[in-house]
Amino acid sequence: MGVFAWGLVTGLAMVKSGLTLAQAFGMALLAYAGSAQLAALPLIAGAAPVWVVVLTATVVNLRFVIYSLALRPTLGTGSRSRRLALGYLTGDIPFVKFMTLLERGSLPAQRIAWFAGASACNWLAWQAGSILGIVAGGAIPADWGLALAGTLALLSLVVPLCTRMPVLAGVLVAGITVVVAHGLPLRLGVLLAVVCGIAAAVAVEAHLRPEGTAA
Amino acid sequence: MSEREIWLSILGITLATVLTRAGPLLPSRDLRLAPLIQSALRYAPACALAAIVLPDLLLTGGTLDVSVANPRLLAGIAAAATCLFTRGTLSTIAAGMVAFWAARWFTA
Repeated sequence: MGVFAWGLVTGLAMVKSGLTLAQAFGMALLAYAGSAQLAALPLIAGAAPVWVVVLTATVVNLRFVIYSLALRPTLGTGSRSRRLALGYLTGDIPFVKFMTLLERGSLPAQRIAWFAGASACNWLAWQAGSILGIVAGGAIPADWGLALAGTLALLSLVVPLCTRMPVLAGVLVAGITVVVAHGLPLRLGVLLAVVCGIAAAVAVEAHLRPEGTAA
Repeated sequence: MSEREIWLSILGITLATVLTRAGPLLPSRDLRLAPLIQSALRYAPACALAAIVLPDLLLTGGTLDVSVANPRLLAGIAAAATCLFTRGTLSTIAAGMVAFWAARWFTA
């Protein structure tokens, strides 16, 4: 349900930032990346260069590098093409559910089948939401300000993370940097802000962790 | 952006999806990352999202606008407060949009 709503918001946001129907469908079906798509849209609408758009989407996607490293013990077997397919279908919610069940030891023996099934449901809910959003988007007047819903959806991802000190520091530094640097050409302020934010978060983490207790 | 650039962006984002999600699963040999890189990867998404979200809420026409006359800032505050309690995407969006419409209605 949450994934469906998320797809809906992204579908709406794609149409509202001026993508054609074909482009919006292409993005939903190929890119399959909620937060990265939402992050890329204002850059596309603001005519940033392609490489800045792609780099920003990649950075937002970096959490999946962590996920798939964690999934390697389970999914790292079998043929390359199966690993590619399962990896591509990984979503935030199936991943979190899978790891929770795995730690509790309450997964069925067919772990890979469980993961594939959960991921497929996630994919279907996402695409159904996206398509409805794309189709309905044209019928909703622009002055409702629904583009803001996409921003708020991203906000709902950030806020729960900010209860940890390093993340909070990174988010604050990234926020200050992006506002100060918004005049930079090519929307480079976004990338500069990400780099400064990460540096601040890593520095705070190193400061909080006593010597010799590396995670 | 031109039609061609938009499609290039979509293909580039698709490539990013495949590489970040499936890439680390593909090599068969042992994989281990330096702790510093692991930390950086952990914090990158939150920082990137903040860098996208905050200008939307804080800037009006390219200048900093921290005042009660900025409905997107009020929406963001309402949404963040709601999110702290509910942790839900739907309730966060709903609270923010209601605050946005109310603020616009009052200042109009």
